[in-house]
Order: sequence, then C-alpha cells, then structure tokens
Amino acid sequence: MASFKPHRSCVRVLLAALALLSFRPLPADAQQQPAGFAVERFYQSAPGGGWFIMDDLDISGRLGGAISITSGYARNPLVITDPDSKQKLAVVSQEAFLDIGGAVTYHRFRAYLDLPMPLSVTGTSGTLGPYQFTAPSVNLGTTPDTVSDFRIGVDTRLLGEPGSLLRLGAGAQVIFPSGNRSDYVSDARYRAMFRFLAAGDAGAYSYAGQLGVHVRPLNDAPVPGSPNGSEFLYGISGGRRFAGPTGWRFVAGPEIYGETAFHQFFSGETGTEALLTGRLEQIGERKLRIKLGVGHALVQNFGAAQWRVVFGVELFGHK
Amino acid sequence: MHFRSLILAVTRYVYRRERRAAVSDGYGCDGSDRSLGRANLVSLFNRARSVMLVLTSCLLASSLASAQNGTPAPRPEGEDSLMQVLTDKGLHDIENESWNAYGQFTYISSWKPSFDAPYTNLNGSINSLLPTAERSFTGTATLYLGLRLWKGAEAYLVPELISEQPFSQLRGLGGAIQNFELQKGGASVPQVYRSRLFLKQTIGLGGKSDVEESGPLQLGTHYDSRRLVFVAGNFTILDFFDTNAFDIDPRQGFLSLGFMTYAAYDFASDARGYSYGGIGEFHWDDWAVRYGRITPPKQPNQLPVDFRLLKYYGDQVEVEHKHTIHEQEGMIRVLGYRNRENMGRFSDAIAAFDANPQENATTCTGFNYGSQNAGAPDLCWARKPNIKEGIGAFAEQYIGHDIGVFARGMYSDGKTEVYAYTSTDRSATVGVLAKGSVWSRSKDLTGIGGNLGWISNIHAKYLGMGGVDGFIGDGAITAGSERSLDMFYSANLGKVYWLTGDYQHITNPGFNAARGPVNVFTVRVHGEF
Repeated sequence: MASFKPHRSCVRVLLAALALLSFRPLPADAQQQPAGFAVERFYQSAPGGGWFIMDDLDISGRLGGAISITSGYARNPLVITDPDSKQKLAVVSQEAFLDIGGAVTYHRFRAYLDLPMPLSVTGTSGTLGPYQFTAPSVNLGTTPDTVSDFRIGVDTRLLGEPGSLLRLGAGAQVIFPSGNRSDYVSDARYRAMFRFLAAGDAGAYSYAGQLGVHVRPLNDAPVPGSPNGSEFLYGISGGRRFAGPTGWRFVAGPEIYGETAFHQFFSGETGTEALLTGRLEQIGERKLRIKLGVGHALVQNFGAAQWRVVFGVELFGHK
Repeated sequence: MHFRSLILAVTRYVYRRERRAAVSDGYGCDGSDRSLGRANLVSLFNRARSVMLVLTSCLLASSLASAQNGTPAPRPEGEDSLMQVLTDKGLHDIENESWNAYGQFTYISSWKPSFDAPYTNLNGSINSLLPTAERSFTGTATLYLGLRLWKGAEAYLVPELISEQPFSQLRGLGGAIQNFELQKGGASVPQVYRSRLFLKQTIGLGGKSDVEESGPLQLGTHYDSRRLVFVAGNFTILDFFDTNAFDIDPRQGFLSLGFMTYAAYDFASDARGYSYGGIGEFHWDDWAVRYGRITPPKQPNQLPVDFRLLKYYGDQVEVEHKHTIHEQEGMIRVLGYRNRENMGRFSDAIAAFDANPQENATTCTGFNYGSQNAGAPDLCWARKPNIKEGIGAFAEQYIGHDIGVFARGMYSDGKTEVYAYTSTDRSATVGVLAKGSVWSRSKDLTGIGGNLGWISNIHAKYLGMGGVDGFIGDGAITAGSERSLDMFYSANLGKVYWLTGDYQHITNPGFNAARGPVNVFTVRVHGEF
C-alpha cells in the first residue's frame, strides 16, 4: 500500500495542475479591450453658419449672435470589420444627440460655444480577432446630464463681403474632453481643429467648402476601426435658393464632408458622408432658420454613419 | 446627493429690495447706501443686537434651524458684468432682454483638524467621518445662458464644470456637510455636465408690473404681479422652491449644506441635485403657490434618473407670502413634499435582519453601500415602493436696510432612507445676514447661523445596530442632534471677486454624540462675470 503513496501524490499534483489549467485565463480573457473614442464626426458649423457642416461666412454688422439647437440620429456610425474573417460588428449601431450652441459675432469675427449632449448611444458587444469590444449603453436615464467633448471656437471672414461671389475665412476650435471614452462619446483628450473656409453666392446659387486639420492626439491605430491620430478634414456644399412665403426663402443642396487620417492618407482610415439638406430661412434683421438633412455614407468608416437624419433650428441676427 | 447644485441663489431679493427702496427714496443704488444716516445706524444696531439675542436664545434652546438654497439671482444694477458692459455700450437692453449670459467660478478649500472619536467604522460599517485631519476642496465653473423664445417664453441652459475632493468620501455627516458644492460621486478630475436645460412660460394675468432684474437664470424683464408660470425640463427644484434666504448666492453666503434648504427636505434629484419634471406657479400679488413633480434617481443617491413619473416621483407644494413689517420686507413660506421612491424603511430592514440574520449588510446582492458589517441590518433587503413625506416652514425678515434674519424648520416622517439630499429627518436653522454697507463695504457680506438636525428613533435604532444609509452609519450610535455653527465673512475684491473666510463647529457629527466635535476652517474664492 505504501508503494502507492507516491503515485497518489503524483495524481494529486496532476489533478491540481489540471485544475489550475482549467482556471487559467481563457483566450477571451486575454483579449484586449479597446477603450472607446469619440465616434461622432458630425462636426457642425458654428451657430448661424448656415449649412450643417460648412460655413456661409455671413459674418457682419455690429454685435450679433446666434443660437442653434440641432438633433439627429445616426445609424451604424461605427461598424468594425475584422481584417481576417471579414466579420462585422456594429459596436455603435445607433446614436441620437442633441446639440446646443451659441455664438457671438462682431464685424467679421465670430466666437462660439457648442455643447453636444448624447441622448442615446447603443451598439453590439463582441469579439473581433484579439479584441473584445464592449458596446456603449448611453441614454438619458443612465447619464442624464452628459456633455460630450464640447467645443469653443472662433471664425473670421478674411476676404469678401456677405453676398459676394467669393468669401474666404479661417476658423479654429478647441475640443475639451468631457464624458467617457467607454461610451464612445469622448476621446478623453484635448483636441483642436484649424480650418480654411470658403463660401460664395452667385445669383440663386450658393456654395461653401472647407479644408482643415483635426489635431487628435489619440492614436489606437492597431485596433480596427479606432482613431489613427490627426486627420485631414474636407468638405464642400452647394445649393440653390428658392423664394418662399413672404419674408422667407428656401435653400436646398448637398453637403459632402469627411476626414482621413494622416497616417493612411485617403488609403484606409477615411470616412465620407453626403447629406442632402434643405433649410427655410427668414429674411430680416432677426432671422430664424429651420434645417433638415438626410444623409448616407459614401465611405463608411469610423464615425461616418450608414445613414443619418439631422434637424436644426437657428435664431440669429445682429445690430 | 447633490448638494452643489443649488447654488445660484444670489442676492436677488436683497438687491431687488434695494432697488425698490432706492427708487422710492429717489436715490440710485449708490445713493441708497449713503441714505443710511447715523440715527438709522443706531437703530439698526439696536435691532441687530436684539435679533442676535433672540437668535442666540434660539440656538441655546436647540430649537429652530434653517437652511438656504436657491437659484442664481439677478445681478444688481451697476454690477460689473458682461451684460452691463454691453448695455453701457448701447449694444444690449438689460431691462428687457432677449438673451443674456453670465458666469461664475468658485474654489473652496476646507481643512478639518483631527477630532476625538472612540470608534470609527465599527465592525465593518463604513460611513464614519474620519477622525484624522483632512483637506477637502471643490472647484466649479458655470455658464448661465438665457434666451427669450417668444412672448413670455424663456429658455435656459447651464453647463457646469466641477472638481472635488470631500472629507471621508462624503461620509459621516448629516445636514452639516461643510461645503454645499460637494456632489456624491464627484471626482478630482474635472467633470463637465449640463446642470439645467428648461423652458419657462409666463402668462400675465394683470396687477402691478414687477421688475425682474437680469441675472443668472433670469432675463431682465417685467412680469405681471398676477401671473401663471409653467416650467418644464431639467433643473434643480431649489431653483423654484424654497429659494435662498434673501436670495443670497450660496457662493457668497453660508458654506454649510444645512443652509441651502431644509436639511430634512429629501427632494427627489440625481446625485448632483438635479431633476427632470414640471412646475406650475400661480402668483397673485404678494401670494404665490407652486406645485412641482420631478424625477427621482433609480437608486438612492445615484446619478441615473428614473423617468417613470407616474410610478416614482417627488411631489412638492409651496405657499408663499411676502409682507412688510414696519416698512421692512419679509417672507413666509410653507412647503410640503411627498416622494414615492423605491426605498427601504428602517423598520423593514431591521425586521428582515431579526427574522434572518443572514439578511445582513454583507450578503445583499442588490444596490447597497458596501458595508462590511455582517452583524448589521441593511436597507438593501427592504427596498420597495415607499412614501416619504415632510412639511416645513421658512421665514425671512429684514430688520434693517442691509440686515436680515431667517429661520427654517422641517419635519419629515423619518421612516425611510435618504434618497437624495441628507440623512436628516428633522431640521431647523436660524441665521442672520448682513451686508457691509455700515462699514462702507456694501458688497461685503457676513453671516452667522446655526443648523440643527435630528433623526427619527427608528433611524437611530437602525444605525445603532450597525446599519448604514447613504451618508452615515458609524457601526454604533449615541443618538444626539447634529448641530453646526457657521460664521463667515465674504470680502469683495475688485468688484467681481469675493474672498471668504468661514468657520464651522460641528457637534455630534452623523447624529452620534460619541464622536466629535469637529472644527472646519474654509477659504473660498469666488468670481462672477
């Protein structure tokens, strides 16, 4: 009997080892969990800017101001594709937001504050390769007062007069970190944007465009669908004015805008959206503008929603 | 818990009153200060002395108590502000505004020396105020934006930033929390949030034309003295109910939380002190009655909000009357509240533990505060839809041109846990506030007040068994009234800055006569624009 004791010990050791092995971290546990980032790339123009993304550079007069309220819904703004299996995961499948902004204008200058407030951000959790993605679950109940990455900006009209064929301007914004990365509403980093702006009117037609740089310190490049450092911004819009009811006019036209990471300049990390917009504008000293936009991704990538609906109201004027 | 929120409540009433007095005397605001003659000063001091004696008697008798609270108040005419500067340049009409923008920043630093405590967090309970020396701070910055949408309609948006570090993780005190800005769940990393977003619609019904001066959360305008007011959106209930005594901005006045409002007023709100809901007000000259229904949090003292307003809610009704006694203005208010929330009754928690000791503070898997006391009952086992009720009264009275006294008292049923504000079940406060015009510093403010709080017998029994609620629970208790004395002097520097020194003496912290007393020294820097 005694001769069996060593064997029993060996068995115990083996069992213990098996038990330990059975409790060792599973491959899933070892997977990396992306921390999230600010998915929304719908960088609105300043309150009173006319278009949704572009800026009409109609800045003039003595002291003036603008208030804007914008609300929108985006479908599938973050769908990640596993480069190996081609499996797709909509980490952020639905996003609704409310955005309130205020601007002060004086002569050719504008300063503004923009407060984005997520109403709902939801998606699907899952695993893609070595990454375990956790979907956000944001709603008014769980986060009743979130302000996500608010912006303070200044714009100036450098050349051209309101209503002229060509107006050139420049703008800068600082984006302050606010909200949680895990909710996909914030980079948790300070960011900045510098844009060159152009706009003009020719008869019944108007246009606007922008080129800029989004200085973005966050770089999770190895993680699929994640930020890849600073980005190049681009966009253009054009529309036609139609006479509306007395004291009103209607402007309709598309806006196309997007961004591409400098790391993979127009080769990989690029997102582009097209938005068909219409806006009803009051003509007078104190103006009301009601805007509606419906859009679709041209190149669906991080933040460029599969489709999007946006509604906005602006009140603006000057002395 | 929210504590901070409430803030604004500036000197609306004081300044409004000043302005009315100035107009009736034929002086402007500056002139009103000069209108105080020597005879008036003597009279004022005599009255002040009498009032102080009365107040001291009240404090010694451990009776009354009160709290302040409120909403941002209009800035007085002539005050340096962006709106005033624009008005002076002809770019803005401050008396009939279509928009306005105000801002503030405040930094409050408190220090608490060590104090005597025979036990701390006994048997694994977790809510003691630590007896070691501690430092606490809050830093806030707020932007108040107002816009007139159409006739009678005003919209307000208030983003705010806060950074904080409380004493003892905000544990161990009832209504005597030393800094009203503290929020439960706050962090030293600055957090930005939207504190208010609401719409106010006023329907005039005639009467006199009352001037409402421009200020945070108030467009400069005129209202009928008889009017209906409806509010909907996101706000703190203290923007409208039990507004601060003399409308003193808490960021200029008392620092203790007990002066924000009734410490026993467990108004429904999230962890920051804000709610969603609606309010209706009916003003008829000197009378006003208001009703509000607001959202509670999903779990006690937490941030997520329960929007099921038909199932869980906080209701409150307040009746207010303004009066004049010997040409000195005053106000009396009566407020009642009734909350229906998913909260625990102390008696149910005790009964559950007595029936089965396994249902203790360490075994409940539902929402709990993390107590490690296995020999204590826990409210976690008792949470279900329950009712909490209370009724209180408030009075404020000017006794001189720039000096006033106030008192508050509230009785809540004390059967259920704290769900949003403080652990206090019954509270009383008295105080006196004076501006520095007597010593030629009209923008200075000083005050002294006492704040008392009690808990119900069943609440004390629950704590004595080692139970904890949202803020207190030492593991044992020698039940006593929590008392705090708060005195401060706020000196105006450079027109828009205030430097405040404050001292608080807290007796029986957490309603436990076995611990303390606690001394707290505070410095505050506040600026407005």
